[in-house]
Amino acid sequence: MEFYTSSKIKRPVRLSEATRLFAHESLNHKYGLDTLKTEYISLDGVENYDAMSALEKYNVGILEIAKRAPVRICDGELISGAATLGGAVEHVFPAKAEGDVRDYATGVSHLTVDFREVLEIGLDGIRKKAEEYLEIHKNPEKKEFVSSCIHCIDCMKIWRDRYIAELKIRGGFDKNVKNLSRVPFHSAENFYEAVQSIWFCFAFMRLTGNWPGIGRIDVLLGDYLKRDLEGGTLTLDEAREILAHFFIKGCEWINGMETGGGDAQHYQNIVLSGTDEEGHDVTNEVTYLVLDVVEETGIGDFPITVRINSNTDERLLTRISEVIRLGGGVVAVYNEEVVLRALRGMGYSESEARTFANDGCWEVQIPGRTKFGYVPLDAFRLLQHVTLRDYGDVGFPDFDALISKYECDLSQEVKRIFDESVLGTLDESGNLKKEFPCTVVSLFEHSCIENGLSYKEGGTDYVVVSPHIGGLPDAANSLYAIKKVVFDEKLLSLSRFMEILRSNWKGEEDLRLQILNEYRYFGNDNDEVDLIAAKLLDDFSGMCERFDGKTKVRFVSGVSTFGRQLAWAPSRLAAPFGRKAGEVLSGNLSPTPGTDKAGAAAIIKSYCKADLSKQRTGAALDVGLIGNSLDAENSVAALSGLIKGFVRLGGFFMQIDTVDRNTLIEAQKNPLDYQNLSVRVSGWNARFVTMSKEWQDMIIDRTK
Amino acid sequence: MKAAIFDIQRSSYVDGPGIRTTVFFKGCNLKCKWCHSPESQSTEKEILFYKDKCRGCGRCESITDDFVCYSGAKEICGREYDTDELVADILADKVFYDASGGGVTFSGGECMLQIDALESILKKCKEHGIHTAVDTAGGVEWEDFERILPFTDLFLYDLKCFSESLHIDGTGVSNRLILENLKALSDARGCEIIIRIPVIPGFNTERAEMAKMASFLKGIRHKSIELLPYHKMGKSKYDALGREFTEYEIPVIDDDLKRMFN
Repeated sequence: MEFYTSSKIKRPVRLSEATRLFAHESLNHKYGLDTLKTEYISLDGVENYDAMSALEKYNVGILEIAKRAPVRICDGELISGAATLGGAVEHVFPAKAEGDVRDYATGVSHLTVDFREVLEIGLDGIRKKAEEYLEIHKNPEKKEFVSSCIHCIDCMKIWRDRYIAELKIRGGFDKNVKNLSRVPFHSAENFYEAVQSIWFCFAFMRLTGNWPGIGRIDVLLGDYLKRDLEGGTLTLDEAREILAHFFIKGCEWINGMETGGGDAQHYQNIVLSGTDEEGHDVTNEVTYLVLDVVEETGIGDFPITVRINSNTDERLLTRISEVIRLGGGVVAVYNEEVVLRALRGMGYSESEARTFANDGCWEVQIPGRTKFGYVPLDAFRLLQHVTLRDYGDVGFPDFDALISKYECDLSQEVKRIFDESVLGTLDESGNLKKEFPCTVVSLFEHSCIENGLSYKEGGTDYVVVSPHIGGLPDAANSLYAIKKVVFDEKLLSLSRFMEILRSNWKGEEDLRLQILNEYRYFGNDNDEVDLIAAKLLDDFSGMCERFDGKTKVRFVSGVSTFGRQLAWAPSRLAAPFGRKAGEVLSGNLSPTPGTDKAGAAAIIKSYCKADLSKQRTGAALDVGLIGNSLDAENSVAALSGLIKGFVRLGGFFMQIDTVDRNTLIEAQKNPLDYQNLSVRVSGWNARFVTMSKEWQDMIIDRTK
Repeated sequence: MKAAIFDIQRSSYVDGPGIRTTVFFKGCNLKCKWCHSPESQSTEKEILFYKDKCRGCGRCESITDDFVCYSGAKEICGREYDTDELVADILADKVFYDASGGGVTFSGGECMLQIDALESILKKCKEHGIHTAVDTAGGVEWEDFERILPFTDLFLYDLKCFSESLHIDGTGVSNRLILENLKALSDARGCEIIIRIPVIPGFNTERAEMAKMASFLKGIRHKSIELLPYHKMGKSKYDALGREFTEYEIPVIDDDLKRMFN
């Protein structure tokens, strides 16, 4: 039994046969399909339900979920707890009564909680804190929220008790019973308990409809493993098995069904390595065990980003490259130095900045302390529709006038986003308006209990709304093309060019191909266009920070599309850089597909010319390398060289995938043969065959 | 100084260690029947015409030196580069060479045929601290090797076969000089050597012939031996040049063969 790789290199075998089997069946939909059998818990028949407040209904829902959600125990599992309700896979609170308005009953995602507290003092410790604050808070709403916290912890105990009972009945799970008798209610005393504690809380959050991230798993678990190894109570192989089961349990929602952007985007993000609050390297055995597990099984459901700096050990770079080489895009990298500069620029202290993790894809945040949301901004549409009036009657005497107008329009759009997505969400006192309750995730976010406010209500230390600019490469390419054609080389007047673009290049195929092929666009290491993109990005960050600090919401910029360019493409008009209306658009801060002709190093150079530390919540680059060129021994040096060069040049975040176009096209035709071909989409991984054709084509278009 | 070049590839991972830029010189003194770069053989500029990409726009009725066909149907292959221009292009990815143990590789065609330009560029690359590799079939005078040896870190040395008559049959020239040069290079030290052997079924895949090559190579200082399987990816270029394509079978490189050269 083998785990898929698009590479000719075989995956290593280190785990036991039983664990490998468990991984195999999980990857092949066994538990995902099982999860679909029970979509939600019905709250019909709950007395007085209709008269209840939103929070009271939520509390009842949590109780009923804890009491009645199916208990699943997998043969031979080393850790227990399972998110068995299908509604949660859809990001919905999986408990409802007839007549409930469902639209806003969403779970929470885009957050990385902090598991440290539950590891250190257990849920009983958190409950005790909540009881103290129940006395301290005088405001009735705050008291209600804190009571809900106590209630949810009690519900988790009910859920835990059901698992212990079932494990005892099944027999052969003595260790699991022993662990769950201690964690997560008491502090974890060893590695095995720590893993079980994290998993159990993570599973309950998921069970109740949330999609939280894990964050810095090696920081969380490293000391426990070190003590166990030194004390001789655990071997590295045993630790690897336990960690593998954590990863395998994380595959419990894989069902093989088609879902647009692909089936693995539940934001189960993991961050490895980097430095701690004091600036010391945190890399430890857990870091390497995680890479071992992913290398062997190819599980992409916990997308991994590694924090790289100029002191990162060669051994780690080599291991990362070895895993990347096997394909699937499971491992991505942060340039820690640029990220820290970004966060310090936002006002975080040095030590707090160093705790950063990501939120689900790659937007950075301080874990356990941040309510994060982003708002998409379509830079290309803005250029076409607003600045150039759908290629209408526009007059600009020179290029400077054009780019000034564009920046003006961009600035207006940023203001509109601020008004709608910040001011529009605050009440008269400047606090966040109430949304669907989210007590369970709030338990794992600092300061919610202390503030008496849930995560969504802004109980966390920081609230961030980040406009994310998408389509910037398309916009920069367009501005550059107009600059060359109209203002520099004077091939056409502006009005004639507008006319041609309005007609979608009708009768001007020669001209279109000329403009497309003659100039070197973003991604080819051409300063002329790269510096236009860089200026736009730098200025965009300033436009956002004009509004930063005006309210309790931090308002800072980032760059992303997250696949939105697929939905945008059909409505786009012809592109001045030689593309027809509706053609494929750029993703994140990557070149417009098909316009990059000078190799991966050139792409990275173009991307790095902006001061990316100004994009406080992140800017992602997708690099695709042809799989078969990486089968040689040289590939590890090449991959780690690309990563190191990326860090030296000031990149922010980079995801590398190594599948080749032909394999993807084959997989489209014969999906059954490629069930576990995983690809990096845009901050998450997905099994290619579960993506709709549109999304598949988008991935193919951006692959050589 | 000028050099006749037909391609420059950035971010190559297959022409030596690390991330490299490969510069392809035009012109070759071998005419291997299985060559997958037919456009590399002549020193002259050539036109490649890909019929199915042609839109019939007629722009190419009058072609000047800097003509560009926007459909990608007609390609003028081969252009003169100033050596300083080349060095500037090579320097563009220096950050990545340093980060990966990579550098520049000079290939072709036979880059050593333009020895003056090659020596000049190699010297300048070394001045900039760039790792240099020369991919050669070795069929030139030993004096040419001596000239570039001080500026070349690695030779990718291509060996087609051992037997002279077979070599003449397959490439048009004797391999006497090629084998002598390789021996001299091995003795000279001051550079690394990687041997590259194209595996061409029906030409050099008889075990006896392979054994003779393996035996010869036992006496040659080398870092590694790469067996490169024949492929047909050059066929479209033959069609585009209006030349006949000689087809061979795709080989299977089995463990026995690999072991011979280890």
